[in-house]
Amino acid sequence: MKNHIFAVSASLLALAAASAAVAGEITVYTALEEEEIAAYAAAAQATMPDVELNILRLSTGKLGARILAEAGNPQADVIWGWAVTAMMDPQILDMLEPYAAKGSEVLGDAFRDADGRWFAPVGYMGAFCVNTARLEQKGLPMPKSWKDLEDPAFKGEILMPDPNSSGTGYLHVNAVLQTLGEEAGWAQLAAVDPNMAQYTSSGSKPCKSARTGEYTVGISLAFTAMQSIEEGYPLAMVFPEGGVGYELEASGLMSSSDNKDDAKAFLDWTMSEEAIDLYRQYKALITIPGVGASAAAEKAGLPADISTVLADVDFVKSAAGQNAIKATWKEKFGR
Amino acid sequence: MPTRQATPATAHTKRGLDGDRVLTAFCVGLPVLGLLLFFLYPMAIVFLRSITVADGTYGLGNYGEVLASKGFWRATWHSMAMGGGTTVLSVLLGFVIAHGLHRCAFRGKWLIRAAIVLPLLAPSLVQALGLIFLLGRNGLVNRFFGLEMDIYGFWGLLIANTLYALPQAVMIIGAALVLLDARTYEAAEIMGASPSRQFRDLTLPAVRLGLLNAAFVVFTITITDFGNAAVIGGDYSVLATEIYSQVVGQRNFNMGAVVGIMLLLPTVASYAIERQAMKRQKGQQGTNSQPFVPQFTPVRDLPMAAINFLIAVLIAAVIAIVVFASFVRLWPYNFELTTRHYNITLAGGYGSLWMTIVISLMAAAGGTLAVFLLGLGLRRVPSALAQPLQVLAAMPAAVPGMVLGLAYILTFNSTATPLYLLYGTAALIAIINFYHYHTQAFLTLQTGFRQLPPALEEAAGSLGAGLGKVAVNVVAPFIAPMLVSVFFFLFMRSMVTLSAVVFLTTPKLNVAAVTIMRLDDAGLTSQAAAFSTVVMAVVCAALIGMKAVLAVMGRGQTRPAKG
Repeated sequence: MKNHIFAVSASLLALAAASAAVAGEITVYTALEEEEIAAYAAAAQATMPDVELNILRLSTGKLGARILAEAGNPQADVIWGWAVTAMMDPQILDMLEPYAAKGSEVLGDAFRDADGRWFAPVGYMGAFCVNTARLEQKGLPMPKSWKDLEDPAFKGEILMPDPNSSGTGYLHVNAVLQTLGEEAGWAQLAAVDPNMAQYTSSGSKPCKSARTGEYTVGISLAFTAMQSIEEGYPLAMVFPEGGVGYELEASGLMSSSDNKDDAKAFLDWTMSEEAIDLYRQYKALITIPGVGASAAAEKAGLPADISTVLADVDFVKSAAGQNAIKATWKEKFGR
Repeated sequence: MPTRQATPATAHTKRGLDGDRVLTAFCVGLPVLGLLLFFLYPMAIVFLRSITVADGTYGLGNYGEVLASKGFWRATWHSMAMGGGTTVLSVLLGFVIAHGLHRCAFRGKWLIRAAIVLPLLAPSLVQALGLIFLLGRNGLVNRFFGLEMDIYGFWGLLIANTLYALPQAVMIIGAALVLLDARTYEAAEIMGASPSRQFRDLTLPAVRLGLLNAAFVVFTITITDFGNAAVIGGDYSVLATEIYSQVVGQRNFNMGAVVGIMLLLPTVASYAIERQAMKRQKGQQGTNSQPFVPQFTPVRDLPMAAINFLIAVLIAAVIAIVVFASFVRLWPYNFELTTRHYNITLAGGYGSLWMTIVISLMAAAGGTLAVFLLGLGLRRVPSALAQPLQVLAAMPAAVPGMVLGLAYILTFNSTATPLYLLYGTAALIAIINFYHYHTQAFLTLQTGFRQLPPALEEAAGSLGAGLGKVAVNVVAPFIAPMLVSVFFFLFMRSMVTLSAVVFLTTPKLNVAAVTIMRLDDAGLTSQAAAFSTVVMAVVCAALIGMKAVLAVMGRGQTRPAKG
């Protein structure tokens, strides 16, 4: 009996060792949305049938915690579609190896790292989620801008993610600061602070709370807003005048990868025609020049030239200034 | 237990002594080795990270920075107030329920037993959604009565934490009440002691350890809980939200580790206070225990039944409303019934369910055995050794799940030790689930062990039975009810706990709680509720199945204690 157990465990160990060494298997960490991942992965798998794609999905923040905790012995070969503000954290950049994916050269300078450690063909936007049923019930005017949210009638009716806990929170705060300038930006945030019912730790929660009528306005993500509208919730998606915050979804190669050929092939795929066609279906924000308004953007009611609703954001500045901005925010508005 | 640690051992004959020593060493050694490898070692690594400053050297700079921050002290104050409030409420209600279940006579106790376990087998999302659907600003109560009650903040968090802590308080307090010797009460009755006198002089002293253990557990799990604080706490920032903000929001594990380490302090302090309080009290000295069968007493039982059923209904309502919501088209706007949310294809679909059951059975079986061995062994080692081991065994609950999960990555994702073989395996997830809930399992059994008359072990020992025989034939049957509740507790929590395992699942190894989180992350809250409902149904079915097996196994067997 003992011999049996030994034999079985020995062969299991051998199997584990063998499967780890097998070429044609890569581990991909991503924070893209579930339904996109399902579509992209199916297409990528069909293009690369010999490579087994192991994909782990976590929210932006949790993924960051995991990647850093694993830094001593990284498990991922590729980081795929992850907030660029997080990617530009020096702790993360140190783990990446420069690789210019085929096709990434068409991207503008703002959408790829000067040293080639990341590139971002897509992104996501923030949005106000406004519950139209509650808005009507409370007799409130439809807010069109951050300024509109200063109205005392909105007191206790607005939710926003805490920038110290949520990348979405930082996306909004940063957009206000970069479009209005530091001084006017902080003044704007201070003016809406008394109306904020809560600063949440999750970026999608304000929209989810607004859609079920717990609050009137959730400062949150366009993706959640669109998804909620599709589900049938009485929700309006508003891009604040003066520009809404957005985030790039960057990809890069882990320098620790032991299967860089396949990892690179996968990164190449994310810039392929096939991938771009899928982006047009799922993504409102595509940074690849010449890719016209996507079906997703049209559905969201975005103008043909999407840049008219986006805040003017400098991502290098966003990433570099984040610690200071978060600390100032906490000092001013931390509850 | 320090008052009588050595008594059973002294009664042994010389013949059995050496074998027993080896066995005692094994009983204590194996679970302690587990605690060292899977709790103390990862926490030592967390401690090292907490003293690692920006330039990579060691120092106390992080602590200085945390202590100097306004937010930290505010969160500390909030956590202590919340911990205190939840403890008072949960222990009070927990005692009322445990007393109702074990010391009162009324019908339909199974309904209360069923309702009280619901918060343990409900994924945390269910409890949060349930409270919001019921008591939220747009919840049923507000809409039905036209109120504008705002649940978010201190009171909402107090309710949510109490809901989560109450079953654990009942489990521990129940362990003290279930084995109280009926004969003591018969004697008191004959001597003319009034029921209130019996309660004050017999029940309360006997249940004191249970109450203190329950208070300790409730306080600890409340100050470490992040889930409730995030969904229902509103702006009421607590220490666990501070850790989340540091680790997840700002990718600053070292600062989060500082708060994680500091969370151990109130826990160790409160455990020390508890131990001190127990020193002044002697254990029960009965030689034999007769199960208490309460007689119906209207003055006592009618109000107790009313309170018990009221609490049970409130708990059940929170869960039931989410189950209901999973069957409606669009909560709270379209109540048309549908099963469309059960068609789950994203986030791995239902695939994770079976692996989660396997993991949970592993955690429950291994965990119950480990705490049983530890409890057994601790009765036979000198108190100088037993006391620090007790503190160690009671500590894991003081570590927030997120910190424990990340600590496991730091520890087991290192090729420096052979423990690396565990990384990415189902076994490691079972292990983290057990150690995450080690405190509750250990203290429940300890409370039960306290009721075990030393004379029983002594008698068996003097008849020549070695430790092995005593353990199997005397101790195990006596504390069987606690072993069963610990097993079920570990099983239920392993099925649904999220905070630690979210960092240990891999692309090939997913668990149900992570699927629920991913569905909710994707905005598919109704699907997350549907998946949760399936998980709860599976857990209920498994519990009923296991109870049936136990009933069959137990048929015809009588407890030796009844002798």
